[in-house]
Amino acid sequence: MAMKIVALAGNPNVGKTTIFNALTGMKQHVGNWPGVTVEKKEGIFEYEGERFLVVDLPGTYSLTAHSIDELVARNFLLNGNPDVVVNVVDATSILRNLYLTLEIFEMGLKNVVVALNKIDLAEKKGIKIDAKKMSKVLGVPVVPLDAKDGIGMKELKDVIVAVAHGEVEETPIIPTYEPAVEREIEHISKCLEGTKLVSKYPVRWLALKLLQRDEEVMKLVERHLGQEGLDRVMTHINEVEERYGKAMDLVIAGQKYEFIDGLTHEFMSYGRAGGEPFTDQLDRLLVHPVYGFVVMAIVFYFVFKFIFVFGLPIQNWLAEAFTDFGNWLAPHIASEALRGLLVDGIIGGVGMVLSFFPLVFLLFLALSFLEDLGYMARIAVLMEGILRKFGLPGKAVIPLILGLGCNVPAVMATRTIEDEKDRLVTMFVNPFVPCSARLSVISFLAGLFFPKESALVAASIYALAFTVAILSAWLVSHFVKGESGLFVIELPEYLVPSGKALLLHSWERSKEFVRKAGTVILVGALLIWYLSNYPVPIGTGGSYAEKLGHLFGPYMGLMGLDWKAAVSLLFGIIAKENVISTYGVLYGTAAAIRSAMTPLQAYVLMAVTTLYIPCIATIGAIRAESNWKWAALATAYMITVASIVGILIWHVGLLLGWGA
Amino acid sequence: MNMIVPLSELRPGESGVVINLQGGPNFRSKLYPMGLAPGVIIRVLDRFQFGPVIIEAGGTRLAVGKNMAAKIMVRKL
Ligand SMILES: Nc1nc2c(ncn2[C@@H]2O[C@H](COP(=O)(O)OP(=O)(O)OP(=O)(O)O)[C@@H](O)[C@H]2O)c(=O)[nH]1
Repeated sequence: MAMKIVALAGNPNVGKTTIFNALTGMKQHVGNWPGVTVEKKEGIFEYEGERFLVVDLPGTYSLTAHSIDELVARNFLLNGNPDVVVNVVDATSILRNLYLTLEIFEMGLKNVVVALNKIDLAEKKGIKIDAKKMSKVLGVPVVPLDAKDGIGMKELKDVIVAVAHGEVEETPIIPTYEPAVEREIEHISKCLEGTKLVSKYPVRWLALKLLQRDEEVMKLVERHLGQEGLDRVMTHINEVEERYGKAMDLVIAGQKYEFIDGLTHEFMSYGRAGGEPFTDQLDRLLVHPVYGFVVMAIVFYFVFKFIFVFGLPIQNWLAEAFTDFGNWLAPHIASEALRGLLVDGIIGGVGMVLSFFPLVFLLFLALSFLEDLGYMARIAVLMEGILRKFGLPGKAVIPLILGLGCNVPAVMATRTIEDEKDRLVTMFVNPFVPCSARLSVISFLAGLFFPKESALVAASIYALAFTVAILSAWLVSHFVKGESGLFVIELPEYLVPSGKALLLHSWERSKEFVRKAGTVILVGALLIWYLSNYPVPIGTGGSYAEKLGHLFGPYMGLMGLDWKAAVSLLFGIIAKENVISTYGVLYGTAAAIRSAMTPLQAYVLMAVTTLYIPCIATIGAIRAESNWKWAALATAYMITVASIVGILIWHVGLLLGWGA
Repeated sequence: MNMIVPLSELRPGESGVVINLQGGPNFRSKLYPMGLAPGVIIRVLDRFQFGPVIIEAGGTRLAVGKNMAAKIMVRKL
């Protein structure tokens, strides 16, 4: 017998993950929903020997067709055949949460359990909820919970299993709207009668969605009734709205809240007036246009320190450990070709993938902490006004700053951005932010070629990089599909996060990174290893890498550089610091490098190294967070921009007479 | 009479009832589930020169972008 399926649905931040963890323990798996970059979490819940598959749906406020998250959740509820739907409701904001609950009911589901979570916080706020009455009013089981402390979980499990076995008779309450709306629902329902649609979807839901001009449902209807049939219905709706003088969706939404308000009076009362003065005061500070930035700078300083001060040494240590292991292994392998492949290619590549693990893990830990604390939403508010002008969301400030350390965790950090379009744009421009590896290249060349004004030269490269990033964001945001700039977010209460949940969460996400980005990094490492060792090792002039370099030599000439630069940049794709070490291999000494280039050429090299391509690990991260196409596009874009900037600097420099 | 004004014109501490949401259906359907629909009472908590307006609606705190706030019509209370 197939496992029964339990789906978790609810608004963001209601405690879904906490409940998911409590149900499944460590038996869980994070992946993606097919075809989209929405996180999918699944786990196994055991109850008296029976196993259930728990699916955590994306946290959403609603089930419209306007965002992928909502569409994923909705399609699973409609077509995924869940045996039980656990609707997690935040007891501290019942009104808004029941909006989603009613949408679920209107989909015709009769196997819903309402998990009334954060009951402890509600009590503190003076909100009294009679769960028994609420259950009667809603027509489905309601289980009060304090998931953080595990209170009520036993009852929730019992109810889930009872519903799964069909032992609970449910009569979910369906809102009725004013007569004019109801008449239209009936009219549209009649139009749909007799089609196959009606056997697949509840007809009232279809009618309501058409009244709200839901694009997906309109497409469905078109497929079954034809363009004409759909037009007939939509024209009718237009006429009704005209007569009515109001959009139907507006009327429906307003009456839904009125309906909810009526319901809640039957089971809920407020002890004292809401409004947490503490939260309000803290908000006033944290989103303040002056103090807010000061606090943010301090917070970022610590996040940065936390990730890189702990992470970088562990990363180096891991990388060294793999090198040592390779060196130890090398003499034991007789075949030279196999030795090279294993030691330099595979062990080197795997070592590189794993060496990023600590950074990524610490990043997720820090981000989840700030997110659960409630601070992330405040940052978004603080930065939205400024960054939006350049096509970036407020939250993009986090990846932009993290990128100064390493672009891999920075790209991963775009996950906290809800809107798909915003997320794509932010990760696209992130690799322009110079990471610490590029800092080593910049400071080396600046020190060698501009000993007197090295700091100023280095700063100018950073300024160049950020300018390019911001302008690119502005440009790219015009080409990515989707609506942005519709900024409305919830500012949750400040909460102390639970350490266990943070660890579990970060662990799962880091594992996923290794799995997804790992393949890209490994393939890239193997390829470069091959190019530099075949048919003869690099340094002899006959390796494929050098031949490739010569091939690109004339192109590099456009920006005043030579084939050696091409080879160095090729190796820089593995890790940016390789640009310098490859120069070392090709030239021998720093003095030789110094005499081989003019300061202008060195400056071009710095600019191009900073801009030209994300390192292989960053490409892997972009791929993990979006798709191959986006990663390839970002790479191509960066190569183009770097070439243009390089050529410009070279020729402008020559014109100004800085060539010597 | 009580005036109908955009939400962006309310000052911190002032309240209003949502009367209408201007803008396309996409825009509106993003606001409804956040608790912003006709008939809902909102209170402005904070407002800064360039940033979003911070309001309380239905027991939750929301930050609404400046452009959005200009399209939410409320009757001052
Ligand atoms: N006081 C209290 N806090 C809770 C309860 N349940 C969850 N929390 C806290 O609420 C916060 C959000 O919980 P999550 O489980 O991450 O919520 P979620 O719904 O998965 O959130 P998203 O991942 O953003 O969709 C965490 O800090 C939890 O510790 C509860 O019953 N009582």
